[in-house]
Amino acid sequence: MTPGLRRLYAPEPVAVGTGAGGTPCAVGEVGVEAVREEWVVDDRWWIPEQLQRHYFELALVNGRSAVVFRCALSGRWYRQRA
Amino acid sequence: MASAAPYIELHAHSAFSFLDGASTPLELAAAAEELGYPAFALTDHDGIWGSREFAESCEGLAVRAITGAELTMALPESPDGPISRARGDISAHRPREVAHLTLLVEGAAGYRNLCRLLTAAHSHTRDNPGRAASQPWATLEQVEEHAAGLVCLSGCARDGALAGAFERGDTARGERLGRRLLAAFGRERFRVELQRPYWRHDRARNRWLAQLAARLGVATVATGNVHSHSRRRARLQDAFVAIGLGETLEESEPRRRGNRSSALASPAAMAARFAEHPEAVAETVRLAERLQFDLTQDLGYRHPREGDRSADRELAELCAQRLAESYAGRASRTVAEGRLEQELATIRHRNLSGFFLIHHQLLELAREVAVEVRGRASPRAVLPPGRGRGSSVSSIVCYLTGLSHIDPVEKNLFSGRFLNDESKTLPDIDLDFPRDIREVLIPRVHEVYGADRSALVAAFPTYRPRGVVRDLGKALGLPPREIEKVAKTTGFHESAGEMEQDVIAAIGPERAAAPRWKALLWLCDDAMGLPRNASQHSGGMVISTEPLVDVCPIVPAAMAGRQIVQWDKDSCSDAGLLKIDLLGLGMLSAVERCVDEVERTRGQPLDLSRIPLDDRETYASIRAAETTGVFQIESRAQMQMLPRTRPQNLDDLTVQVALVRPGPIQGGAVHPYIERRKQQRRCEREGREYAIPYAHESLEHALKETLGTIVYQEQVLEVAIDFAGFRHAEAEQLRRAMSRKRSQEAIEKHHRNFIAGARQKHKAPAELAERIWEQIQGFAGFGFPKAHSAAFGLLAYQSAWLRVHRAEEFLCALLNEQPMGFYPPDALVQEAQRRKIVIAPPDANRSQVLCHVETSRSSEVGSGDPRPHEQRGGSVGGPPTPPHGAGAVRDGLVVRVGLGYVKGVRSEEMEGLVVERERGGVYAGIADLASRSGAGMPSLERLAWAGALDGIPADPAAAASAAERREALWRVGVAANGRGRTRRTQLALPIEPPRAPPLQPLGDWGELIADYRSTGIALGKHPMELMRPGLDPALLSSAELERAGDGSTVEVAGMVVARQRPGTAKGIVFMTLEDERGIVNAIVPKRVYERHRATVRAAVMVRARGRLERREGVVNVLIESVEPLERDAAPQPPRPERPPTSRGRGQAPAGSRHARELAVAELRAVAPAGHSFGRRGK
Repeated sequence: MTPGLRRLYAPEPVAVGTGAGGTPCAVGEVGVEAVREEWVVDDRWWIPEQLQRHYFELALVNGRSAVVFRCALSGRWYRQRA
Repeated sequence: MASAAPYIELHAHSAFSFLDGASTPLELAAAAEELGYPAFALTDHDGIWGSREFAESCEGLAVRAITGAELTMALPESPDGPISRARGDISAHRPREVAHLTLLVEGAAGYRNLCRLLTAAHSHTRDNPGRAASQPWATLEQVEEHAAGLVCLSGCARDGALAGAFERGDTARGERLGRRLLAAFGRERFRVELQRPYWRHDRARNRWLAQLAARLGVATVATGNVHSHSRRRARLQDAFVAIGLGETLEESEPRRRGNRSSALASPAAMAARFAEHPEAVAETVRLAERLQFDLTQDLGYRHPREGDRSADRELAELCAQRLAESYAGRASRTVAEGRLEQELATIRHRNLSGFFLIHHQLLELAREVAVEVRGRASPRAVLPPGRGRGSSVSSIVCYLTGLSHIDPVEKNLFSGRFLNDESKTLPDIDLDFPRDIREVLIPRVHEVYGADRSALVAAFPTYRPRGVVRDLGKALGLPPREIEKVAKTTGFHESAGEMEQDVIAAIGPERAAAPRWKALLWLCDDAMGLPRNASQHSGGMVISTEPLVDVCPIVPAAMAGRQIVQWDKDSCSDAGLLKIDLLGLGMLSAVERCVDEVERTRGQPLDLSRIPLDDRETYASIRAAETTGVFQIESRAQMQMLPRTRPQNLDDLTVQVALVRPGPIQGGAVHPYIERRKQQRRCEREGREYAIPYAHESLEHALKETLGTIVYQEQVLEVAIDFAGFRHAEAEQLRRAMSRKRSQEAIEKHHRNFIAGARQKHKAPAELAERIWEQIQGFAGFGFPKAHSAAFGLLAYQSAWLRVHRAEEFLCALLNEQPMGFYPPDALVQEAQRRKIVIAPPDANRSQVLCHVETSRSSEVGSGDPRPHEQRGGSVGGPPTPPHGAGAVRDGLVVRVGLGYVKGVRSEEMEGLVVERERGGVYAGIADLASRSGAGMPSLERLAWAGALDGIPADPAAAASAAERREALWRVGVAANGRGRTRRTQLALPIEPPRAPPLQPLGDWGELIADYRSTGIALGKHPMELMRPGLDPALLSSAELERAGDGSTVEVAGMVVARQRPGTAKGIVFMTLEDERGIVNAIVPKRVYERHRATVRAAVMVRARGRLERREGVVNVLIESVEPLERDAAPQPPRPERPPTSRGRGQAPAGSRHARELAVAELRAVAPAGHSFGRRGK
């Protein structure tokens, strides 16, 4: 990428606490009130840069929304504007 | 039936949802059983192509098959106004919007309605000028009209009738549609379908659908929309979607599923997936218990005249009358009468008299059609309209009713396989016809029986290596050049495991290790053998008394005037449909053409039924493997076998036809038979009886005539009965299991019963029983019944007789009937020339559109002898020399290549050219040709390149000159001006152009290339003859090989005309090389093939080194190394550089490697594609 430019809505690492079944219960310090939606992306399997992500659209206790995903390849959590 | 599973799958796709589903019905059924599903619904897109196969697969498993389909329905157009459409107002164009409905069959009425709906959906799919298949769809009105007996689920998450409305943001329209569907199906048979494909808005969608269901007062039901039986196979499904869209995987990302949620999951996993909608999960079980329609039992089909008792008397009377005629005064009459009584009793017992009468009626229809096609006065009129093949040839009823032409009493044919009291399936009757008769017969059958009561059977071409490399390679975004290199290297029958070697050989190990190429390999592994699309079977037709559409949906075929049912021959047979095979056999057509030509050239009508069946010259040529062009015994494998088996009579030929098949080869019968035959002949010479070494004494009755080996398919039944105590029906099940691709478990069950039965009946040791079972197991490959072999053996003899005694006419017929047979036309011509048959090139003043035989009595231009310009190899102005390879013209006959053989000419223009020549006389000059013939410049140019204008005088006042092609081409360019593209061609003025400027003649090599490019047949010097002066003199020709010693090391070179790698040969490749003197048989062992893969697979001309083997008159070269010929390095210094299209006649391509490379590259572009790994052509 050209120096000086950055990708919009690039995923950012985030700490996510999980409860039973791996469902998020906190994003950073903020608790999760409800899981609005949950979806899976498992694609680009034919190239090294595979996508294996389990997404959650969350309603947080502070009234905000958040979209987070867990990368199945690295096991890490990310937050993404979506 | 109470289900222990919490969830039943009611929405699943197999690979018969073409380019969407990725698993076979058997894979789905087996996976469903393994996961604990007690029932499972198959709902392919707009069809039940695989439903019978699915139901049959489930029969052997603990899974109950539920029948259904996912129907594409046109959405009513107006969102605001009335959404109904006037009845019958069905536009052929694609509707703006479509949606999917999942329809499940509750009972027989529902099944009939489903078939009618699917037929309606497909009815317009070919209504376009090119008859290309378009998207099927039905209207909402049609759905409403055919709702009875069906359960309707509202469809899938993206395209479903209701869910799709949510996705489009048009929920009001979705609700209106829901109310229409509720009104059509009723509360008990309409369900709102929930899916959870793990897409972003699943929960919102399902909440809305559940609320809508509550408002409508109907239940929700959960489905999986399964598209593959495993998570690994889901990746192939991704690739299929990309292929269907014509895009790469990257490009198609927005439209693909994006995850593997459509892979089959366990009932428990599916229940957990719908944890928020437990009622929808429970509904799957409740619904499944209502959907009890069994496709294997409840079809209700009856074949025509089934149950008609008067048919028994009618058939008996017909057969009695024919028997009295056929067996009058013959010693075998009593035996024939006994056989007939026996067969008629079985036929009556099985209620099949009407079945045989229907076939007889069809044959009579074929007789009428034959008279129309051939003409009453045609010499072909004495020939039967068609011939039986297969096991039906063993039946005396078939013989007497004209369905077979082989006397089963005289030939001692066993009819038990074809007809017996215990079998539950209908007998199979196959009829071969000449192609022209068959083309008229098929639509005539539709006319006579009705378009709604007759249809062709479907066929499902499956993915083969080249196609799968091309399609998947494109989806993976691989470079097109690399894809094509790999595709051309793969073989037709190759397994996926071998493809890695092809990839490495084609593009190198480094590129082959790239992730996309790796992905291609395992995708190919998954895709091979899956159905790609639906097509029509070559000749299978089903006929019904009731409308066929109540039994199976009917869809229009690609050919106008034809329609197909949605089942293939196996499914039709399983369903008990009356299926008749009307097959077009190229050799039958060729034989008929030959009979016509013989009458025309020699004035002698030829009745093939009266030729002697013991002609010594014919059998001598067969034993010498001089069988190029002969039916069934012309392949390389057959030619290798003939000098060893040495057939003496028709019985021997019957064995010969059956012997070289995967069945006997894999069963290990071939070499034992050959050895025993040799020993038998030795014993006969010594005047003693040969003792056949049977594996067990009980096998004598079954295997005596084949010297203790299993050669015929029915011998498998006889061995199973005599040795292992199988009942007849059980033996027949074994045979059917072996011939079906989906029956491995069934075969294993029979194996266990066989070993146990042998022990019980004969106390046979297990080791002996296993050995005999191995031979039977070999017949899992293809084997011929004896009756079929007898029918084909007779045609093989007749074609061999014609080849020997009417050689020119037979060659002419073969050329006119291409494509057929093992060899391309060029190979046929080369071989004929070596036999001193004269073949003359196309000539605008002598040729017809088709090839024909010229005689010295011909009223055409001059004598039948080739004219000076046709005598290639001599020099300009020099004394004429005989055409290459020929001596004097035999019997005054010359085979003249037709104008239709010139590639790219328009057939109507060639017909016009000939008609005008016959009306107004031969063409006096190029201008005369251009002005009178009606042919446009493109066709005239092509004729010039083919040498067809060489005989047209440059100057009308002069004698015919040896005009050269370049000169003829120049003259065409000046004289002609019409392009002939429209109905009328503006004709040139008949003014002769001026003399051409001096033009370099093409020379021998140039003419060779021009011949291959224009007609695919080279009549001048063989490429090897032209190249040989520049090659290493150590290279032996095929003639010189005859003098080389057995075991000596030899080096040969030639053009590759055939390559085969039979599945039975353990990796060995057989190559047939041709040079100017004949044929070299090269055997490439597996380790040599692996080293020289690309060369063996694709090189046009090769040089090879190996060890010569001479066995019983057969010469082979066992190859140790092989290289493309252009790399051949001559030991002496190269000759001065000259271009390959050298100037002046008689000049061969120069001796340098560069010149050879250019020459071979030029030849590779135009040389005819021979037989290559299972198929003719590229």
